[in-house]
Amino acid sequence: MILIHCPYCDEQRPEIEFAYGGEAHIARPENPSALSDDELETYLFIRANPRGRHHERWRHAHGCGRFFNAVRDTVTDKFETTYKAGEPRK
Amino acid sequence: MSGFRIDNQGRIDRARPLSFTFDGKAYRGFKGDTLASALLANGVMLFGRSFKYHRPRGVMAAGVEEPNALVSVLRGPKGDRSRFTPNLRATSVELYDGLVAESQNRWPSLRFDAGAINDVFSPFFPAGFYNKTFMWPRSAWEKLYEPVIRKMAGLGNAPSALDPDHYDATFAHCDLLIIGGGPGGLDAALEASGTNQRVILIDDQDELGGGALFDPALWSWLERTRAALAASPNIRILTRTSAFGYYHDNFIGAVERLTDHLTVVPDGPREKLWRIRAGEVVLAQGAIERPLVFDGNDTPGVMLASAALTFLHRYGVAVGQRIVLMAAHDSGWRDALALAQAGVGVTAIVDVREHVAPQLIAQAKEAGIAVHFGASVIGVGGRHEVRNVTIAPNGGGGPATIACDAVLMAGGWTPSVHLWSHSKGSLKWDANWGAYLPDQPNENVRCVGACGGAWDFGAGQSVAALPTPKPLHKTKAFVDFQNDVTAKDIKLAVREGFRSIEHIKRYTTNGMATDQGKTSNLNGLQIASEALALPVTSIGLTTFRPPYTPQTFGALAGHMKGGLFQPTRKTPIDGWAEANGAVFELVAQWRRARYFPQGSEDMLAAVNRECLAVRAGVGIFDASTLGKIEVVGPDAAEFLNRMYTNPWKALEPGRCRYGLLLGEDGFIRDDGVSARLAPDRFHLTTTTGGAARVLNMMEDYLQTEWPHLDVWLTSTTEQWAVIALQGPRARDVIAPLVDGIDLSPEAFPHMAVREGMICGVPTRLFRVSFTGELGYEINVPAAHGRVVWDAVMAAGAAHGITPYGTETMHVLRAEKGYIIVGQDSDGTVTPTDAGLDWAIGKKKPDFVGKRALARPDMLRSDRKQFVGLLTEDPNDVLEEGAQIVADPAQAVPMSMIGHVTSSYWSATLGRSIALAVVQGGHARMGETLHIPMPDKIISVKVCDTVFYDKEGARLNG
Amino acid sequence: MANMITDALACARYNLRARDAALLETVTGLNLPSIIGETRDGVAMLGSDEWLALLTEGTKLPMGEGQPVSIVDVSDRSVGIIVEGLHAIDILSAGCPLDLARWPVGRASRTIFELVEVVIIREADTRFRVEVWRSFAPWLREALKTASNALTA
Repeated sequence: MILIHCPYCDEQRPEIEFAYGGEAHIARPENPSALSDDELETYLFIRANPRGRHHERWRHAHGCGRFFNAVRDTVTDKFETTYKAGEPRK
Repeated sequence: MSGFRIDNQGRIDRARPLSFTFDGKAYRGFKGDTLASALLANGVMLFGRSFKYHRPRGVMAAGVEEPNALVSVLRGPKGDRSRFTPNLRATSVELYDGLVAESQNRWPSLRFDAGAINDVFSPFFPAGFYNKTFMWPRSAWEKLYEPVIRKMAGLGNAPSALDPDHYDATFAHCDLLIIGGGPGGLDAALEASGTNQRVILIDDQDELGGGALFDPALWSWLERTRAALAASPNIRILTRTSAFGYYHDNFIGAVERLTDHLTVVPDGPREKLWRIRAGEVVLAQGAIERPLVFDGNDTPGVMLASAALTFLHRYGVAVGQRIVLMAAHDSGWRDALALAQAGVGVTAIVDVREHVAPQLIAQAKEAGIAVHFGASVIGVGGRHEVRNVTIAPNGGGGPATIACDAVLMAGGWTPSVHLWSHSKGSLKWDANWGAYLPDQPNENVRCVGACGGAWDFGAGQSVAALPTPKPLHKTKAFVDFQNDVTAKDIKLAVREGFRSIEHIKRYTTNGMATDQGKTSNLNGLQIASEALALPVTSIGLTTFRPPYTPQTFGALAGHMKGGLFQPTRKTPIDGWAEANGAVFELVAQWRRARYFPQGSEDMLAAVNRECLAVRAGVGIFDASTLGKIEVVGPDAAEFLNRMYTNPWKALEPGRCRYGLLLGEDGFIRDDGVSARLAPDRFHLTTTTGGAARVLNMMEDYLQTEWPHLDVWLTSTTEQWAVIALQGPRARDVIAPLVDGIDLSPEAFPHMAVREGMICGVPTRLFRVSFTGELGYEINVPAAHGRVVWDAVMAAGAAHGITPYGTETMHVLRAEKGYIIVGQDSDGTVTPTDAGLDWAIGKKKPDFVGKRALARPDMLRSDRKQFVGLLTEDPNDVLEEGAQIVADPAQAVPMSMIGHVTSSYWSATLGRSIALAVVQGGHARMGETLHIPMPDKIISVKVCDTVFYDKEGARLNG
Repeated sequence: MANMITDALACARYNLRARDAALLETVTGLNLPSIIGETRDGVAMLGSDEWLALLTEGTKLPMGEGQPVSIVDVSDRSVGIIVEGLHAIDILSAGCPLDLARWPVGRASRTIFELVEVVIIREADTRFRVEVWRSFAPWLREALKTASNALTA
């Protein structure tokens, strides 16, 4: 059971308190109606699938309830860092 | 027959003799014996039959690495077979008075096993045989091959009764976790004793000591050390505890065996699952001796040299009196010399090496042991027990036979790196050990003692299979004893083209038995390396996976079984439903009343009565499980406007609206009627199963997309009990109970909400309907739910109030064409598909999912669209999920154009009704379609989804 | 002291949310803790903008209409279960993965007990309060009692 550092609680907490939230830094377009079909497809469905550093979101669902960002290595499953929602990509 | 108890040896308690049975025969042993040591002391050599070839097998090792002696143990009172456990290693079964054990995988008896025919036909059962045989004729597979193979396959019989035992479980935290209570682990524990550190020391034996338990020279040190540790308040010692897995961030799983060693099964848990988070882990798991690979090395009486020493010093048992040692390693010599010194007869030592330390040779000669160098055992005489060995010089030359009653193997040592490897620590090949040693850690962990390579077993030589003049196909030289994998099999795999050790493992099943290759992985690797003419390090090493030793499902489940397996959520009204004969169903985790049969009614009769009662008079329904969210803040309406398809800003306080929630992909995710209580406060509802999901989705948008909106969400699902009252008499029923609310139709129209009191309890009274009748949903704080329900029932008695369940609720809404998200939709349905265009706010510039609705695929006219179906024969009730076709005469596979999503008998209409999704359904009104069933084809007419009161006049009553 | 698992006395519960804690304090008249995990006068800070207030039964808080705050009565949503005794931590550790022994008195957190979401508050060295949603309470009481029984077996 991985320990994840919640940047809001500022504490390592067990994985079971968290829910995965998909790839990070995919902002909802300001004006979705202006998107072309291809741009919409990218926004809805296309995701990076890196071998290595992955920027992703987690939610401390059974804790403080906040969504936050993380950089996790998809090969070693180690968390490099976590940071608050809204902060720039690390 | 050989093997017997030696006086003045062993740690057994001779003052406590025990009685036990094995295969129905009575034997005696002592407290401190294992089943294996006690049977060996009684001269029993035959313990079981091997997996594939049914060869007679005896004990090969003394610990958890034992591959052969798998037995079944029956605990508990006589005649009670509910505590039957198969596949236990006899070397790990602690003896207790009255133990009942049986051998496995043999019929009719261990001595005369009919399955031994497999050994005769073994040339037809090499590795992977099942990939090439039992294929023809195909028809024979189901009736003949599979049943026969199933009967013959496997080891041991599965228990057939429900496990009556309880299992405990806990999380635990410590600063230091020491796994292994041998000298290495004990030293680490001593170092940490008396400090502030929380320390846990675990060992899988009944007493601490590990390897020291069979080294009498260390026993007084052991006594002192154990006493010191027991007196140390910061150290928790867990014996009979196996660490089975090492997980992320120093999280270790272990099982403590609490009662299996006791004669009388006490109340209380049988085992305890420990889930330990450690600051630092010290692994002190020792090393396992390797067998040697030669023809006949599986004969009962052939065992590891260190096992013989363990049986002598720990249990006071000699495994033979005319022992031959086959060695590739100095440690075997030391073991043989120790045996001889204790008076156990050692006849000869055969060493595969040309040169051995002169000191050892001298000691052997002094003990009267014959020695042979540069030679190997090439055969073993005897089938149910060893009678002799045949040896020959490695380079060729005349064989010689030596009479003996036991053969010991000293093939070198393999440090136990299993848990280290679970934790993804890296390994490095060490030529001296002929094994992999821990290299770089991946967690905060270190190895001490033999498992880290820090132990002196002496010098040795790594050998693959021992040299032999016999042609390979004429030998049965075992590598994996439990899965019956021989050297020949591994070479076959290489010949057939397998190069990676992972493939060789799976093709031969080497290392795949319950012992997980503890005595076979390295030998298999060496043989493959030789066959491939590649160094061991370039073939790879198979992955170590938990559990290190087999664990019970019970322990892994812990408390989570029976009533605790999953919470059954009940509403405040549930007690009333149970007392009034409700038949329940599970919806998500909730228990909901499905119908209320009266007298001898079946479900259909009950539902028909309930439906008619609602439409004619009044029905009462527990809707408390509905998800509820309180949305509060100045931006509440703005937020809902962005989330739902509907417009919310103009909704006045006191009014309700049916909300449709899409994903960004445009598909329906959830729905529900929601009320505006104040400019900045909404009471949202969701489906029962969707509550948590919807709240999560909304929080996601609020936190990460629109963090500046002044609006917050609170789950109130369990704050409110919800009593639905539906039917033309609904108002009459609640009028006398309600205070502070004008119930007249002018003051309180359909789709409105009022706050006031009911039965002296504050209420949010919704006038909403899922049945199409005049209806209310009475929301009261949950603690008062039951009282209010009882009062409404009493007030309704005069009106013939009828309680109804989820089944009736389904039928009534279907008659009105109301969709149920998750039943009529499946995540691929758009609002237009569902006929819910009207719920989309056309003037809204944006909402979640709006853009996706404009995708070309979403605009196609042949999308599956929500329609009603009326069967040609009104008595035909369609099956939900049934596929729909246009032309029933077409060839199979037919072109399926839709399926039935909801189907019921409608008492209201006196005929069946159904809802479905059909390609281009909206344009097919009046068309006849067909539903092929196994026994007939049902014709249906496509119609509107609303079957009853299309104008909705009854809603506005 | 024998281990006890009992239901807490009824109380008023409010879920308080706002970006501006000072405003929330003004509206409610309560003293709010400012660090996630702290409690003060019966109010626990569960998240960066979320507090759970456990107050005397029947207490009614103002609703803060029109203000950027959310004050929601959830008195009936949960029940409180008190776990008390020398083995209180062991009982809770049967299903809670947190290192409760390291919690100072007054610490609170939303967390998990096996399958069920709870809020745990350390009220004293050997007394913990567990808040759980009403419909999960029977399961939780059963789970806690089972854990307690195993300890004394």
